[in-house]
Amino acid sequence: MFKKLFKKIFVIILIIMLLLAFSKSYSTLNIDNLSVVVAMGIDVSDKNRLQISFQFTNPSSVSESGTSEQAPSIIYSVDASSISSGINLINTYIGKSVNLSHCKVITFSEEIASRGISDEIYTLINDTQIRPSTNIVISKTSARYYLEHSKPLFENLITKYYEVFSASGSYTGFTANATIGDFFDSLICHSCEPYGILGGVTNNSTEYTGSTNSENDSTTKSNASSLSGQSTAENTGLAVFKNDVLVGELNSIETLCFSIIRNQVDGFLISVPNPNKANSYIDLHVTPLVTPKVKVDILNGTPYITIDCRFTGRIYSMEDGADYLDNDMLNQISNCCNSYLESILTEYLYKTSKSLSSDINGFGKTARNIFLTLDEFYDYNWSEKYKDSFFKVTVNSSIRSSSLLTES
Amino acid sequence: METSKITAAEAISIVLGIFVAYTLVALPRSMLDATKTATLINLIYVGIIALLITFLIYKLLIKFPGSDIVDIAEYLGGKTLKTFIGMVFIFYFLFSSSVLLRNFCECLKIVYYPMTSLIFIILTFIIVICITLHHRFSSIAKVNLLIIPLVIISIIFLFIANMRNFSLDNIFPIFGDGLFNTFVTGLGNLGAFGGITLLYFLPPYLKEPQKMKKIYLTSIILGTIYFLLCVSIILFMFISLMYTNQIMPLYSAARYIEFGNFFQRLESIFLLIWILQMVCYLAIVAKISLSIFKKITNIRNEKPLIFVFGLLIFAISLLPKNYAVSKFIEDYIYHYMVIIVSIVLGVSLLVLAYFKKRKKKELKADVQKTI
Repeated sequence: MFKKLFKKIFVIILIIMLLLAFSKSYSTLNIDNLSVVVAMGIDVSDKNRLQISFQFTNPSSVSESGTSEQAPSIIYSVDASSISSGINLINTYIGKSVNLSHCKVITFSEEIASRGISDEIYTLINDTQIRPSTNIVISKTSARYYLEHSKPLFENLITKYYEVFSASGSYTGFTANATIGDFFDSLICHSCEPYGILGGVTNNSTEYTGSTNSENDSTTKSNASSLSGQSTAENTGLAVFKNDVLVGELNSIETLCFSIIRNQVDGFLISVPNPNKANSYIDLHVTPLVTPKVKVDILNGTPYITIDCRFTGRIYSMEDGADYLDNDMLNQISNCCNSYLESILTEYLYKTSKSLSSDINGFGKTARNIFLTLDEFYDYNWSEKYKDSFFKVTVNSSIRSSSLLTES
Repeated sequence: METSKITAAEAISIVLGIFVAYTLVALPRSMLDATKTATLINLIYVGIIALLITFLIYKLLIKFPGSDIVDIAEYLGGKTLKTFIGMVFIFYFLFSSSVLLRNFCECLKIVYYPMTSLIFIILTFIIVICITLHHRFSSIAKVNLLIIPLVIISIIFLFIANMRNFSLDNIFPIFGDGLFNTFVTGLGNLGAFGGITLLYFLPPYLKEPQKMKKIYLTSIILGTIYFLLCVSIILFMFISLMYTNQIMPLYSAARYIEFGNFFQRLESIFLLIWILQMVCYLAIVAKISLSIFKKITNIRNEKPLIFVFGLLIFAISLLPKNYAVSKFIEDYIYHYMVIIVSIVLGVSLLVLAYFKKRKKKELKADVQKTI
């Protein structure tokens, strides 16, 4: 009798004790006590400290009834010596605990990226709330300005915008998916270098006059594009790092080359010179057939990298008098496409090696199979030797037909 | 005599359970730390050696049908050796499981319960173990048999879902830190095969002792394949793990799983399954320790000791001053303990007992001849 009673009391005390113990963690992570950050911006403040901006969304303002109003986003900035103390200050200011588990984008200003961001990246990776799939953007403007102009044009939710904004890279190749997980891995890796999405804000202080900031369609990049309309954030091109320091930028066509080599693009549009008409171009939609074959050899102590790509494609543009049912014509266009892709890929590769000395393509990983032990690989010092690399690009494309019209 | 018998599948799942429990915390990372890019080669090599050791253990154990290592110790050196060996194995089981529990709870605290005291997280496991220990060994084995396939499926799913993040070039340079490191110092990875220790205690529990060879060899082969799977996930995904230390590398890999924008954050499901496996592991180890204690003290009923053993695990898990100490114990001391206790001590004891038996047999034959 007493034994049973004692057992029951013991169990009740135990349950109460565990409830009390675990309730603290529950209340800390309770949605009522959290403020959800959707994006973060990191700038350098005047006093050489960090200016950390947090973009919040108010989930309760999002109506389920399909309203056309956009959910408001709020941006707060704080000056702090580190990201953690910035979060601490903002927690005090807003009276809620900042939660980064829904943070989709972390933006660094160009200025801070040029100084080196390894401490920030290590701190962020150390945070259990930050997802490895969070995108890294290097903004040509200040990070706060970039966040202020990151507005969803076709969605109501800013979170949805951040979720899909890098997806266009898979069908244009002009931007790429650059996550903090990959950035961290490349930062530590001895055989590759990190990269981030190049961000900026469309400059629309004056009416669009038809003039562009870039030479042609394929050399655009963030802050130098021909886009007109509302003043919004843009994400074209890539920011290239050497270790943790920003060393250069890639424009849209170079980013496409990067995406081709990394096999991150499903299909893309290019303009190749028309073989039958001077100063005229044909637009082709090209699809990679297989993952590019990369081979690395060491010749006289210098890396010799061969890349073999295979594509298939269709002609997108049409002109008067065109005959795309002619096999010779298609072969000529295929040859033009081969030479064009070979030239842009070679130019891009030499830019990464000679100008930027940064192996963002990860050729070093392929080079590792030449060496038998890690010591041999470290002794070779790949990251330094990459700038002496030589490249041979072979493109084999097969343009099959045009689209609906085959002759005109 | 133990009445709670287990089937061949349950026995295999129990041994696998030990392998699995250690991979959930830090084992794949400590293997990678030891042999770097050569870990896959090293694992195949170490797996073959573990298989040979297991075969040797089987060959020696069948000379003493239905006996575990404590019975064999009694045969070899009487009560003193029986008590000594029993105490060594109890210490080994309690110490290794407590440290693993501590590390697992530290990780749980970091990931999910930042404001909860570590004591309460550990206590929750201890309460569950104490309740579980009131059941028979076969019941615990049956539950373990239900959980193990879930864990294996979770790891296979982890492998398949992360394939798009794999870089096969990460296994190069193929010999990592060199041939000596891979094949000589890399032998330390034998310490990952802690499940071998359990093989010494399985014979009295087996429902079908004639399947002993199959049970022993299958569990080691499956364990090696499981290790290869876990290490492949980590090696192919994160080159950074060779240079940095992350808690629960498999959990880190689970965080990368995303299917479009809808199926994300699946790591919670993984952790739930892994928590169940951790409870099964702790219950099995505590049950074995209890049965050893029962054997060396000749007590009739071990149930009053359940809370004592629960409290012992609780107390030992709180002994390390901080995570650095408990991690060091798990990464280094545990490996040496496995090699010294499970392989060196266990095998030498069996070999000596075998020679004693053979000598006795020869003497008997001589006497019969003389007569």
